[in-house]
Amino acid sequence: MKAKRRVTTAKDVRVAARRTPTVRKVKPLLGLAPSPSASPAPTRARSVVARPIAAHDQPAPSVAVDLSVDLGRGLVLTNPILVASGTFGYGIEYGDVVEVDRLGAICCKGTTLKPRIGNVPPRVTETPGGMLNSIGLQNPGVDAVVDKYAKTWTGWRTSVIVNVAGESVGDYVEVVRRLDGVPGVAGIELNISCPNVGKGGLQFAIDADAAGSVTAAVRRATDLPLLVKLSPNVADVRPIARAIADAGADVLTAVNTLSGIAVAPSRQKPLLGNIYGGLSGPAIKPVALRIVYEVAQIVDIPVVAIGGVTELADVLDYLAVGAVAVQVGTAIFADPTLPVRLVDELAEECRGRGLTSHRDLIGTALPRKPGAPSAKGVEYRP
Amino acid sequence: MTMRLVRTELVDSREILPGQWLQSFHAPALASGTRAGQFVHVRTGDLSGLVLRRPFSINTADPVSGTITIHFRTIGRGTEWFTSLRAGDAVDMLGPLGRPFEVDSRSRHLLLVAGGLGMAGVRYLADEAIRDGRQVTLLFGAASARDVYPSSLLPDEVEYVIATDDGSVGHRGFVTELVPEYEAWADQAFACGPAPMLAALARLAAGRRDRLGVARLGRRRGAGRTVALGSPAARRKAFLQVSMEQNMGCAVGACLGCVIMGVGGAPQRVCREGPVFAAEEVAWDSGW
Repeated sequence: MKAKRRVTTAKDVRVAARRTPTVRKVKPLLGLAPSPSASPAPTRARSVVARPIAAHDQPAPSVAVDLSVDLGRGLVLTNPILVASGTFGYGIEYGDVVEVDRLGAICCKGTTLKPRIGNVPPRVTETPGGMLNSIGLQNPGVDAVVDKYAKTWTGWRTSVIVNVAGESVGDYVEVVRRLDGVPGVAGIELNISCPNVGKGGLQFAIDADAAGSVTAAVRRATDLPLLVKLSPNVADVRPIARAIADAGADVLTAVNTLSGIAVAPSRQKPLLGNIYGGLSGPAIKPVALRIVYEVAQIVDIPVVAIGGVTELADVLDYLAVGAVAVQVGTAIFADPTLPVRLVDELAEECRGRGLTSHRDLIGTALPRKPGAPSAKGVEYRP
Repeated sequence: MTMRLVRTELVDSREILPGQWLQSFHAPALASGTRAGQFVHVRTGDLSGLVLRRPFSINTADPVSGTITIHFRTIGRGTEWFTSLRAGDAVDMLGPLGRPFEVDSRSRHLLLVAGGLGMAGVRYLADEAIRDGRQVTLLFGAASARDVYPSSLLPDEVEYVIATDDGSVGHRGFVTELVPEYEAWADQAFACGPAPMLAALARLAAGRRDRLGVARLGRRRGAGRTVALGSPAARRKAFLQVSMEQNMGCAVGACLGCVIMGVGGAPQRVCREGPVFAAEEVAWDSGW
């Protein structure tokens, strides 16, 4: 079937010609999505006609965009824009300022078995293009979190994913057991990479065996969808990612903050009370992009990206390197309405490109996987 | 009034003291319904690579003209960006945030104590108190005469007493040294300034409580009832309320960045439980 069988105007043909439509129908995940620079702001109707395959299947000019994301085990998000743990509390703090029900999901503040008072202040400071934080997992403990917030969460359309931290495998398992079956808890995000606590925390994220065993132990304890958050503070994240995936995680989240410090204005001591903090914000985006790019190529489970998302272009970048969804974190502090706006902007972007789903934008910048050897290939081998 | 995101417009901007600016914004939604002690979280320009908003006490609020003012010192790129604003420029504010000063309805004499930029924290309370027919004495401490907040920017009714470190104007020494003269006169005290100043005031307040008791407040029906520490009712009964400062992230209670240590051993969020606290709520010696 040739691409241009439909009746098209001369203008449509010109647009179509710029769009390299031939690869698309073969492998949407690896295909080349038309880049925005190649087709400057096409109108909705025109872009539908211009993409012969979609136009053939769906002649309707107004495209309904499906932004849903299936993270496995029944966790289907309405859209791929999540808010990151630690930046959005338990979902209630921003009150009427943010329409929580329009978020893809909320990852709540890191939750531990026992209450934690956290680190000595100062706990936050701004850095070029980012910020350092060393909250130290202050939280009231899993039981109090469930008592206080779970009922509210059940009333929301948005999924709430509880971020879980611990000092030992036993801690993680016990917290997850107490969350298992609680109405309002849609999933677990394992924080095995918090750089701001003395014991535990990071040690699970820097060793493939430890990461695999804590994931496996939690996997045995619950059927809830299980996300595991990777640390960027390692030489090579791939063996760790693979171990976590092999141990039964449903999703990888990449990445947690980068370890860093700041110096007090007096220059007599480090600025943060805890000395070390985690760097977040636009400053870390290239690092996070690299890790998502590396991980997405070697695991078969979905990757949710996090690191310095402040505008739609960042979302599109992360999708291009293989993320199925993104978390917005630090940018919320400056612009609490950003995540909801990104949902609208992503839908608009898809419509503008004549796409019925953002899934066509995923993985477009990844290297092509070598296809399965075909009989034809063998025939032609010299 | 619940917090909201408000698009404000700069009306006036002036450097009232070396490196200290007073800016006025048209923001009717914030100007009415804001109480003294509350603050706004203000977004900086996007071009500068700054990722956090800046918290500012609401220095004054005028519901009639629909304006609020903020008072700040230029200490970095964020505050310098604010000084580049011109009349008519739009600025995004989140507010009003935090809990206000709680004045007991029976208090006639209010003692305000401000150290340096701490003036911004208590300034609006002077307006509120005078509007409500109370007498206000404002003790102000600064390094030297050149840093002294101009009395012309205060209501005429305020008794303004100054201390400077170098004695170039007013009392030579710390502002806290002026407090004992006024402690018997004052029904309640409200302070904002550097943490050591507030800690010294808290010690003075505790001493006053030991000497004078709470006779003024303690003889009414129901006075024996205990009120929860940190509640508005408990704060209204406190002799000293302080407005605290801490590095801040979200300003709505989500990130837990801006905590101080409370007496019960639980961290208190400056943005949510504060920025105003009764002095007895704060664990001054915790090392936090």
